[in-house]
Amino acid sequence: MRPDLDLRAYFDTRATAILMTVSLLALLAFAALGGLLVPLVLPEEVVDVETTVIALSLPLSLIIPAIAVLITAGEWSDRSIQFTLLQRPSRNAVLLSKTLAASVVTAGVVALAIALAAVTTWIGGELLGQGADFSSMEGVMTTQLATLGSYLLISLAMGLLTQSSVLGLLSAIGIPFLTATAVPLATLTGSELFIDVVRAVDLPGAAVALGDGRAGAFELLPLALTVLLPAALGVWRWNRREVG
Amino acid sequence: MTKAPRTTAALDVRGLTKRYGSRVAVDDLTFSCTPGSVTGFLGPNGAGKSTTLRILTGLAEADAGQALVGSRPYRELDHPARTIGVMLDATALHRGRTGLETLRLTGRAIGMPAARAGEVLELVGLRDAGAKRVGGYSYGMRQRLGIGVALMGDPEVLVLDEPANGLDPEGIRWMRRLLRSFADAGGTVLLSSHQLREVQATVDRLVVIADGRLVREGMLDELTSEAGTRVGAEDPAALRAALDRHGIAYEQRAEQQLAVSLAPVDVGRLAVREQIVLTALGAADSGGLEDVFFALTGQTDPAAGPHDAEPVPAAIF
Repeated sequence: MRPDLDLRAYFDTRATAILMTVSLLALLAFAALGGLLVPLVLPEEVVDVETTVIALSLPLSLIIPAIAVLITAGEWSDRSIQFTLLQRPSRNAVLLSKTLAASVVTAGVVALAIALAAVTTWIGGELLGQGADFSSMEGVMTTQLATLGSYLLISLAMGLLTQSSVLGLLSAIGIPFLTATAVPLATLTGSELFIDVVRAVDLPGAAVALGDGRAGAFELLPLALTVLLPAALGVWRWNRREVG
Repeated sequence: MTKAPRTTAALDVRGLTKRYGSRVAVDDLTFSCTPGSVTGFLGPNGAGKSTTLRILTGLAEADAGQALVGSRPYRELDHPARTIGVMLDATALHRGRTGLETLRLTGRAIGMPAARAGEVLELVGLRDAGAKRVGGYSYGMRQRLGIGVALMGDPEVLVLDEPANGLDPEGIRWMRRLLRSFADAGGTVLLSSHQLREVQATVDRLVVIADGRLVREGMLDELTSEAGTRVGAEDPAALRAALDRHGIAYEQRAEQQLAVSLAPVDVGRLAVREQIVLTALGAADSGGLEDVFFALTGQTDPAAGPHDAEPVPAAIF
């Protein structure tokens, strides 16, 4: 297993340079939005680090799939997987290596986002003269991290399953978006069955429940349906798919 | 590069079979390549060449049989890219990476020193294009870089699929010399190509397949010299009768001459025994590898006219 190779292979392309630059700009913009603009627009609000992280979760919900899917599935789409597997024929080792590399890059980006959130929140608090509220950092480290972790897990699973950048990105971004949209609709209908069906595929919702300490056995179902099952199918396909 | 001489097959394909649904892509294919040789792997489109090469290099799995590299399957080699250099499709090189970085990354993956990338870049004639992204390379430059990737591990065996595609005449000449010197140093080369003239100028052995099956394997000289003997006689009818009596295949050629499926010396002996006066005797003109290829694979040469398009009877060979 050589995650160092996959990290280097990921970072030395023009596409990654563009993606990481755009991601950094988006994180800076949303950190400024959450830490500086929101307190200015709503002066009665306390400048709260969790609010800033929530603002940052919007670009992160796009950046995390882009990173994870491109690392796991990108080489299948541009066919350079042929050279990778010729040099490293153990397919499971390559798969694990890419999964680890995607997790490391995502962890770095999330750490950067939280650091940016802390800095802009502190600046916002100082500008308003009331100081920043960091008491919600525990919520950041539990609920928000769990939510971002769910984005990573879905993205890895979709990258492995589809082995296609386009399909992987569509499904990794689309599934959380659709479930987030379906949850309030299901609640409006009042149908228990509909609500349970939506909850069964709502991994970010299950992650919030886990972060809040409300998770039960039911929350394992979204993990199984949106992560474990597609990942298992993806691993099976990864080992059998012909290259060339 | 100096390779230790070996007598065992460097590449060994045994009873290889691959099916896609009801279609048999490779059908009980057996052949081998020995060190010190350049083997041409020929066959019409869809004959199963690429499938065979993919199985040989671990990119696809066989339904039956084995494809071994130095007696082991590719995926079980300790250092595959340092044992066998492979270039199947240069267009699969990552377009967003520079040529030099492509080679450096390869070197790092296979455990070669960083300086090797510069050496190989020079070897494949891309020194001035090393900082350029592969997306900006011409097809021929990508072919060169693909060959460079294959050479990075200083392997004992090279497997190349259509390496001459996109190369200009100078590039083809360069590749021919490269492969020849590689084999002369004890290396083993298996190359698949549609460019028969280039194959003829480069290889010393041939493996010809059609419909997934082996049609012929042997030395290039043997295969291309099997065009037979051109012979004329004072009494052509007597010559034809003698050949018929001995069950020897022949074809009528121009100027009262026959093309006979015997070596000239054997035709001479037959004429003495049958007391036939010969007016002409010599090796028949061979159309070279193209004629051999079209005859063995049952293909017709699209460039040939109606007369030449007739396949050479199999008996001639």
